[in-house]
Amino acid sequence: MKLRKVLAIVLAMALCIGMVSVFASCNGGKKNYAENNTEFVIGLSGPLTGGAAVYGQAVKNSAQMAVDEINAAGGLNGVMFKLVATDDQHDPSLVSANYYSMYEGGMQVSLGTVTTDPGLEYKELSQEDNVFFLTPSASGDDITKDYDNGYQMCFADGNQGAAAAKYVNDNYAGQTIGAFYKADDAYSKGIYDQFMDNLNDNVTVVSTNFTKTNETNFATQIDTLKNCKFIFMPTYYGPASLFMTQAKSIIAPDAIYYGCDGFDGIDKIDGFDIKAIPQAVTMLSHFNSNSTSEAVTSYVEKYTNKYGTDTLNQFGASAYDCVYAIYYAMKSAMDKGTAIDVTISASDLCDILKSEFQGGFTFNGKDQKGAVTGTNIKWNADGTVNKAADFYEIKPANK
Amino acid sequence: MEVLEFILSVIVNGLSQGGIYAMIAIGYTMVYGIAKLLNFAHGDIIMVAAYTIIVTVNTSMPIGVSLPLSILLSIVICVLLGVAIEKVAYKPLRGASPLAVLITAIGVSYLLQSIAQIIFGTAPKMTAKLDLGAFKLFGVPVKFSAIITLVITVLVMVGLTMFVKKSRTGRAMVAVSEDRGAAQLMGINVNKIITITFIIGSALAALAGFCSIIEAPSVTSTFGSMPGIKAFTAAVIGGIGSIPGAMLGGIMLGIVECIANKIPVIAPYTDAIEFSILIIILLVKPTGFLGKKRREKV
Amino acid sequence: MFKKFKINHYINYFVIAVALIVFAILSFTGGIDNSTTLLLERIAISIILAVSLSLVVGFLGELSLGHAGFMCIGAYIGGKVSALLAQTGIGDGIGNLIISLIVGAVAAAACGVVVGIPALRLRGDYLAIVTLAFGEIVKTLFQNSSDNSFGGLSGLSTPRYNKTTLFIIAFVVVLLTLAVIQNFIRSKHGRAVTAVRDNEIAARATGINVTKYKIMVFALSAAFAGIAGVIYSFSQNKVMYTHFDYNYSIEILVMVVLGGMGSINGSIISATLLTFFDEKLRLWISQDFSKTQLAQFLTTYVIKGDLAVFKDIIYALVLILIVIYNNSPSLKGLREKLNLKKLLSKLFKRKHDPSKVKDDEARWDVVPTKIEMDEVLSTDVVIDDMGDNSADIGERGGNK
Repeated sequence: MKLRKVLAIVLAMALCIGMVSVFASCNGGKKNYAENNTEFVIGLSGPLTGGAAVYGQAVKNSAQMAVDEINAAGGLNGVMFKLVATDDQHDPSLVSANYYSMYEGGMQVSLGTVTTDPGLEYKELSQEDNVFFLTPSASGDDITKDYDNGYQMCFADGNQGAAAAKYVNDNYAGQTIGAFYKADDAYSKGIYDQFMDNLNDNVTVVSTNFTKTNETNFATQIDTLKNCKFIFMPTYYGPASLFMTQAKSIIAPDAIYYGCDGFDGIDKIDGFDIKAIPQAVTMLSHFNSNSTSEAVTSYVEKYTNKYGTDTLNQFGASAYDCVYAIYYAMKSAMDKGTAIDVTISASDLCDILKSEFQGGFTFNGKDQKGAVTGTNIKWNADGTVNKAADFYEIKPANK
Repeated sequence: MEVLEFILSVIVNGLSQGGIYAMIAIGYTMVYGIAKLLNFAHGDIIMVAAYTIIVTVNTSMPIGVSLPLSILLSIVICVLLGVAIEKVAYKPLRGASPLAVLITAIGVSYLLQSIAQIIFGTAPKMTAKLDLGAFKLFGVPVKFSAIITLVITVLVMVGLTMFVKKSRTGRAMVAVSEDRGAAQLMGINVNKIITITFIIGSALAALAGFCSIIEAPSVTSTFGSMPGIKAFTAAVIGGIGSIPGAMLGGIMLGIVECIANKIPVIAPYTDAIEFSILIIILLVKPTGFLGKKRREKV
Repeated sequence: MFKKFKINHYINYFVIAVALIVFAILSFTGGIDNSTTLLLERIAISIILAVSLSLVVGFLGELSLGHAGFMCIGAYIGGKVSALLAQTGIGDGIGNLIISLIVGAVAAAACGVVVGIPALRLRGDYLAIVTLAFGEIVKTLFQNSSDNSFGGLSGLSTPRYNKTTLFIIAFVVVLLTLAVIQNFIRSKHGRAVTAVRDNEIAARATGINVTKYKIMVFALSAAFAGIAGVIYSFSQNKVMYTHFDYNYSIEILVMVVLGGMGSINGSIISATLLTFFDEKLRLWISQDFSKTQLAQFLTTYVIKGDLAVFKDIIYALVLILIVIYNNSPSLKGLREKLNLKKLLSKLFKRKHDPSKVKDDEARWDVVPTKIEMDEVLSTDVVIDDMGDNSADIGERGGNK
């Protein structure tokens, strides 16, 4: 009996190994999954449920809005666009399934992922099939590294940290400042590390952090920073707003909260009254929903009418620009005489877009009126974005 | 001065956080003691309470009216929800394996979180109206919310202890948790006692929700899951099934968390430290601090 | 002595092997896409996890909420080994994979022994929370690791194995897992383990080394969870600690419970179905369903979050309904009426007559699959000194 068991297993394994060796050489050729497309398909993987869902939703809504606008205006030479958005719950494990289902479903160009962790998986997969992506908000430094098919619309984390450090070196030499970040978040920790690396020795930093995604009680952290007049907060606006609310009567009223692009939307949170915060709130970002530029006001108005202010943030604004940037890059290539058919394969389109993005393509928003997240946007050879970062004072201190 | 500040802030913040854990843990431990089920959905009741309070407070009513109303409303809604969950999801499984009920409880927890996402969306709901301010104690700023939490915790603990020790229903509860069969034979309506347990547990969860909200006025659909797990840990440290044990475990956990959070080097390891303490305590005292030893019989 | 070859014992190997061969042929002839091979990888991982957890929950009768922790150790250690080996002469081929699998399994088994020690003193919920705590501690440690060791916050980069062959290897590992675990259960060790589950004191009294068996089961179960983790790391470019939280442990537990406690085949089937539907439902809702009129209506008027949340609602509702249907004492009548086996036997008119079963046909080699569920979640604490047990029996005699 034992013998037979062993025999059965050995047989099964032998068969499998036999299969492997017999068929190992005849791998099926690569197919063009887009050959039956009737629209250009843009893919996106982002957190639509779970703790980071608010960012995924903003990106999906805004990208859909841009696609609808482009289609309403007649598409690209009469060819419409279609957005396919899949849910990755901010978990890299789900990205490959999303990616293949979109790629094999005819995706030709993509917005990559919304967040950095899944993005690191996505860049490997998209590189294998040579699929172009322009991510609105996966700001990790590694997202565009190694391969040439990935581009960012947002600033890379490292650049944000360095810019913040420069500001502090210039203004707070010889003083003590505070820092508050999320220790288990690649975005927050990434900016913080770069900030610390670029800081001069004559600035003393009191650091405090939190880890839990749903952390709401910052009493201990506030306690640690209570004597600081300048607090650097490379976190998203959710925890930042909670920190500010709880610190209202503890941190000095003339202190300054200094955030990065994650701060955007902090003045639009339902139930959080930024005016009631005595301290000043400033940020370094590419998008400010209070800006008076035409592009921003029209985007904010349209978005708010359709989806409310809950999910109005720089993620969405950036995604809106991404869709238009891809549209104009394709248009620019076509104007130069490159043929882009609706059934073009992802790889072919990728090559066209790569040469556009590396060949001096400048994105300036819808009808050249300026983009939502900057003007005269260009891309560096390494895939990072080249545009001016603005220093926004969201709210001056009450004095 | 540094030391005094450190101690004072650990005491105040740790006790108030611990009080929140304790109130949740009491709900866990009571339901466990009486219905012998791990109510994994308990943490999500807190989430429902938090949403109720924030939505009520954010209406145009003056805060003097809306705040008491919101507390009342959250307690009523949580109690109704708790009883409904018990009747629909747990009661059909009475007599079935505890593992089956555990899985159902997990299902209920997922369901509540998803429904919250459908109703309120994914963005956190916040309120600016519940800021209670702070005062200085020996030069250390102390938030009023922490004091309120402490007061509520003490009141709840004293009240609950009195209730269990003195009232008929309370003693019936102890009887059911000791030996359900014998209690039934003595004429105790076990079904009624289980319902009452869920009522008390849910009301405490609502209070815990209120305390969390005045501390940090923001709620998302997963608001209750980590406090739920922490409270479960607290209940086990104190000895699951024991009400004073749950209080002790909750407060201990709150203080440990506060100390760990204050030291930057070990702050990222806070969860690991809390869970390690749990394992060590259980290895030394396998039934937790105040749990009863039960002999296994052949 | 040769007994009759019992096809029932081998049916699961057979089915899996045939499925594997069919898919392998399809894969090498270009008949299936990457999304399918990926799904097959994930199904294989789920099966290994569910079967190995079933050993602890179904056969030892202990509740474990930390299975994802063992998988995490396998994924990180195995992934690290494979990343290091890939830089040496071994490369990233099959040799690398085998070495990583072994190292990952050993590392996880060692941790299994560590968790098995508290299991000697704790039972039921106490052990459940300890395993949950263990899983969270493991996660936190990898999260706070330095960038050079295990990647810390940004996760561990691991070499992705050839997509067209990894699922085949994964299923060969499934077959191996089944061979080891089923043989263990059917051996004298397996019977000793079920004896410990059914009554620990009685088992001890008959001379069974409870300590040895408990630790053995935890180590074995952990080793295969570790193997699942290594395969997972080979199917990913990045291994992230966030994946291995207690919710994932619960997902594995759900597979075991829905499959029927103490049933290996049940675990295989439910792991396959749950993984399949989880993946398909998520993609279907965000791609096809979201384009329908109903979806438009729902997003405009009913829901505030994203449509994707419906997957969770469906999962939760199905979970609650299945468990209530399967376990509710008051639905016993309905269950018997709708019993699939009975319906089938009626259909084929094969009546089972217990009186016709001869004594010598009694299946000694089959472990009883019924399990006193109370055992799994009882708070009873094992007390090592057995000195005064007789007094207890006198007091509250025989409530077991």
